[in-house]
Amino acid sequence: MTTTNISPSKFLAQDNVYLPHIVVIEKIIEETPNIRTLHFNFKDKKLQKEFSFESGQFGEYSVFGIGEAPFCISSSPTRRDHLEFAVQRVGRVTNALHRLGVGAEIGFRGPYGNSFPLDYLGGKNLVFVGGGIGLAPLRSLIWNVIDNKDKYKNIDIIYGARTPADLCFKYDLDSWSKNKTVNMVTTVDRGDESWTGKTGVVPKILEEVAPSAKNAAAIVCGPPIMIRFTFPVLTKLGFTPEQMLTTLEKRMKCGIGKCGRCNIGNIFVCRDGPVFSYAQIKSFVSSEY
Amino acid sequence: MANKKISKKDIAKLLNQWSREFAVFVPSKESGIATMARWDGKDVTLDWYRNTVIPKANFLPAMEEMFRFQKDKESYNIELPPDGGKQLIFGIRPCDARALAIIDANFKNLYQDPYYLSRRDSAVLIGVGCINPSESCFCTSLGISPTESKDVDLMLTDIGDQFLIEEVTDKGKKLIAKASGLGEATKEDETRAKEMKETSYNKVTRKINTEGIVERLIACFDDQDFWEKIAAKCISCGICTLLCPTCYCFDINDELTKQQGTRFRSLDSCAFPVYTKMPMENPRAEKWKRVRQKVCHKYGFFPMSFNAIACTGCGRCIRLCPVNWDITQVLNNLPVKTEVGK
Repeated sequence: MTTTNISPSKFLAQDNVYLPHIVVIEKIIEETPNIRTLHFNFKDKKLQKEFSFESGQFGEYSVFGIGEAPFCISSSPTRRDHLEFAVQRVGRVTNALHRLGVGAEIGFRGPYGNSFPLDYLGGKNLVFVGGGIGLAPLRSLIWNVIDNKDKYKNIDIIYGARTPADLCFKYDLDSWSKNKTVNMVTTVDRGDESWTGKTGVVPKILEEVAPSAKNAAAIVCGPPIMIRFTFPVLTKLGFTPEQMLTTLEKRMKCGIGKCGRCNIGNIFVCRDGPVFSYAQIKSFVSSEY
Repeated sequence: MANKKISKKDIAKLLNQWSREFAVFVPSKESGIATMARWDGKDVTLDWYRNTVIPKANFLPAMEEMFRFQKDKESYNIELPPDGGKQLIFGIRPCDARALAIIDANFKNLYQDPYYLSRRDSAVLIGVGCINPSESCFCTSLGISPTESKDVDLMLTDIGDQFLIEEVTDKGKKLIAKASGLGEATKEDETRAKEMKETSYNKVTRKINTEGIVERLIACFDDQDFWEKIAAKCISCGICTLLCPTCYCFDINDELTKQQGTRFRSLDSCAFPVYTKMPMENPRAEKWKRVRQKVCHKYGFFPMSFNAIACTGCGRCIRLCPVNWDITQVLNNLPVKTEVGK
């Protein structure tokens, strides 16, 4: 596992892996009261043209003077006029990112980490299971898959949040529910008067929807508690640990496997992940995740 | 070719020759704390120290500037710190030299760490054998000899009033070729050095059993009772990691003054709860998980990644622990998983 087949990011600033590129915020979408999506582009036009990444990869974003934090690239590599990332306001850097406006300049290093295994997913039915802001890495892959629809079979998306106001990427949810090749199921833990969709936590709704495990792969991302309860449901539905993929989040400072803190078991989440099959991480999930 | 030797009283003269090319560092107690300090031109005495001094700081400082940034007409200017120049570390112990070789793997893997590696590449290491190992030392269990090293450029052995000098690398050979005031080692000097090495080796009496250590650790990874017992007296002060020659974990932070700022990195420790703390959760909030991480990373996960145990048996974590936590006791008392039905 640790002899990684990951190739290092080609996009280094001044040959120093810790130096960020300057990127410019072009658009901000307030997803929920505490989650926003930021659209950005490189200040260096040449880099903007050359930059490439895969669904599942992440970057280290700096608000200069405040600090750096890792976020996945939430847009799809198939739609490259700009890049996107989504941020929940929870800590120092994320709060600073929530104070920024259009035109602000931040630092970006990346892309880092591995990506969703498109070769493995090809020709399969795909079951996406997301919770809250956990849809961010999944939506990069979902749009990627939709834009290459002939390579994949059916798509199920089961997505939930605590309340209707906490649902992210509502414009995507609308678009996917109108897409005939997608079975879109949206749920909330607690509805309100106007809520007409499903009510219940994501693992429970997944069990109701009961997608078949035959020639399928499940891609799961959400809060740890959701992930912990989702794997047993998928197992019940017949998914093997190899058929379940997830993307992990840890406190990744360097993003390149050196600073040590994202180590769980013999895995460094930033270096060997963030995308893992359940088979790879199940021995550590019980006590370290 | 015969080895060279140098009289102990001539060490300062030798360092003086090298100081024209290198920033020379020697073990020093001047500041009240044993460190590798910039040589002040005085005589160097080495009899006082075992391996209290930690040369890791010359390559991975406790805190260092990564770059500066300045806001200038709505854009950021990023500026790298100046190159620190070439270092010559005199008096490094074989255990500490091995430690650098071990952590090189981390700083080279996948991405080159420019700060650490540029210092490593330009530095010269001059080892001095440890003839008086401490009771807490267990380097020989990790395949290290207190008086021999392949991880330095020159290796010195105390033979009384003189040091025998062995050339280990080409870098070392060149240093010797340029140096004056050296004598040719005689047969008697060589015999004396051999005796010193044997005596020193046998002074290391503490042992750990490293056989199958990775498998044995993984086998008891989920044994919460064991780890809770092991961790009970730990006070999470972090001293065993910060002064460990193979601990390299670091944090990255920004400092801001008006329109100008600095990004710096500083040593961090898996002993601290904040090390893994994310705003919403902390995978290692409990102390036993952090102690487990420290032990398992050094003797399990690091070997799984880089084929080397991240420990040199230097014994600092035993000598310096305020509550007498002892890694050798932990490793020698790992629970043996009994096979069912046996």
